Amino acid sequence: MHTRHLIIYAAALLLVVALTGGCAKKIVKPNDMPSPGLGMAGQGAIAEGELQGVQASLKPIYFDFDNYTLTPDAQAAIDYNAEVLKRFPTLAVVAEGHCDERGTAEYNLALGERRAGTVVQRLAALGIAGNRMSTVSFGSELPVDPNHNEEAWAKNRRVYVRVSK
Amino acid sequence: MKPTRLDDNAPAKTVSCLACQVLLSAILLICICSQPAFGKLLLDVDNPNLGKMPIIIPEFSTNQPGPLNGAELASIVKNDLILSGLFEIIEAPQPLPLNQGGEPDLVNLAKTGAQALVMGSFFVNGNQLTVECKLYDIGLQRLELGKRYSGSPADYRYIVHMFDDRLMEKITNLPGCFTTKIAFVDDSKSREIFSMDFDGNNLRQLTNTQTINMSPDWAPDGKGLIFTSYINRNPDLWYVSVDGQRLIPVSNRKGLNASGHFSPDGNLIALSLSVKAIPKIFIINTQSHIIKQLTNGLGNDISPTWSPDGAYVAYVSDQAGSPQIYTVPVNGGDPRRITLSTSYNTDPDWSRRGDLLAFTAKIDGRFQVCVIRPDGSDFRVLTNKGSNQDPSWSPDGRMIAFTSNRDGVKRIFVMDAKGTVQTPVSSIPGRSPAWSPRFK
Repeated sequence: MHTRHLIIYAAALLLVVALTGGCAKKIVKPNDMPSPGLGMAGQGAIAEGELQGVQASLKPIYFDFDNYTLTPDAQAAIDYNAEVLKRFPTLAVVAEGHCDERGTAEYNLALGERRAGTVVQRLAALGIAGNRMSTVSFGSELPVDPNHNEEAWAKNRRVYVRVSK
Repeated sequence: MKPTRLDDNAPAKTVSCLACQVLLSAILLICICSQPAFGKLLLDVDNPNLGKMPIIIPEFSTNQPGPLNGAELASIVKNDLILSGLFEIIEAPQPLPLNQGGEPDLVNLAKTGAQALVMGSFFVNGNQLTVECKLYDIGLQRLELGKRYSGSPADYRYIVHMFDDRLMEKITNLPGCFTTKIAFVDDSKSREIFSMDFDGNNLRQLTNTQTINMSPDWAPDGKGLIFTSYINRNPDLWYVSVDGQRLIPVSNRKGLNASGHFSPDGNLIALSLSVKAIPKIFIINTQSHIIKQLTNGLGNDISPTWSPDGAYVAYVSDQAGSPQIYTVPVNGGDPRRITLSTSYNTDPDWSRRGDLLAFTAKIDGRFQVCVIRPDGSDFRVLTNKGSNQDPSWSPDGRMIAFTSNRDGVKRIFVMDAKGTVQTPVSSIPGRSPAWSPRFK
């Protein structure tokens, strides 16, 4: 009986370790993203193709309805983007804020600006230089999904991080 | 229907003759009503129990049939009066009963139940159109108003609207605004600014920027509009002249330069700037210098609109967690929240009469145009079909233009201030209407 209890206890312990390990928030290091190469990190010009690669590796940041606070997923996406941006310190960064179609155009313009500003603020806290970054809000004017349902709205409430030379 | 009372005791009033020149081409106006008025048709528009005035508007007559036809001229009058929400059109008897002198037989016409009659006639001489319009009081059996206009045949709609403005002044003591225009943003990918007559005619494209344009607002002199545009890939404030020929940047600061609105005297512009990261209401002058920052705090502040005396600005802020409408004195003082009943209130527009603010409220998941007094009392919902947004008052404060998707696409509608008559007017899909001032 004693042995059997031990086995059950050990199995439960293993399960707990596995679960906590799986749930722990950790920043996924962007290892598979393009790197500047040849020790030239951030120095000199970046080829157009490389710029496109950097752009493609940046993650959109999503928001809740009528809200500009960062969800855990949004924070993780920004943290990931910060790691990418640190490797290319010469690139200019524009946070582009968008809203879903619900609400009025002008209010959504302010909300999109605030979302973009929140992203820039966190990127700055993560070490991205403020003078590299700016914001632009498109409000609800440029939906990525033109449909009128929850799924589309969730995709449209976003900040894109755009890079340019 | 409750008949409208005719006031026999109104003070005597003599109509003086005048000639004036107006926009576009010279339109000559001559008053042909020579008799003094001893009583008049009167609609007290502010009476909440007001009934509609029944009126007869037969085809305009002419002895020169041509491209212009009398039915169309009469239909302009009918449409203006229907859109005002104040009149009920009574079908004209065929043929119209005339007395021996060729004047309308008002005794006979009284049997129709109509209280008023508009009789029009016209002729074209070379490149000059002359239109004569008369308003009769059927009850008092007399001519109330007579006008003769001469102008280019191309301006026939404008000429008839001019008479309707005077008709409205005669009956309600405040001139109509049927000669005004509505600007709006079309619904194409590149959202261009258009203008049209208030009834949807004479559609003109003012911008061709091939970028997103938003939130047009007329300069009080009627000569141009300010609007937000992404011409330089940032939401900047621009000015365009009504002929579309001049396009000038007004504010292009970093971040938002959004929802600009002229002060009533045209010297200042209230707008939302995010120069300090959070969108706040600022006042700039027309040379783009910042005069003052009007709001503070952590909320997103947007969509300013001025009180008619220029002493207050109403705007939207989400400082309390959801967008609500506030007013703030321009010369110092604390903001005051005026919307309390629903969770999402945006897009205020302060009536030029000062008595009401129109705005958009979210009710049961859809947006509706509402009105409220500047002190936050007397909240009323005016629309209930589809989603309705972006209210803009007419310069007489008696009508509201707005965007509605009730027919499946977003289109510009107009309604009277009580919402009793709501009519689509734009021939193309559009949004964000801005009603012009009266043109001098």
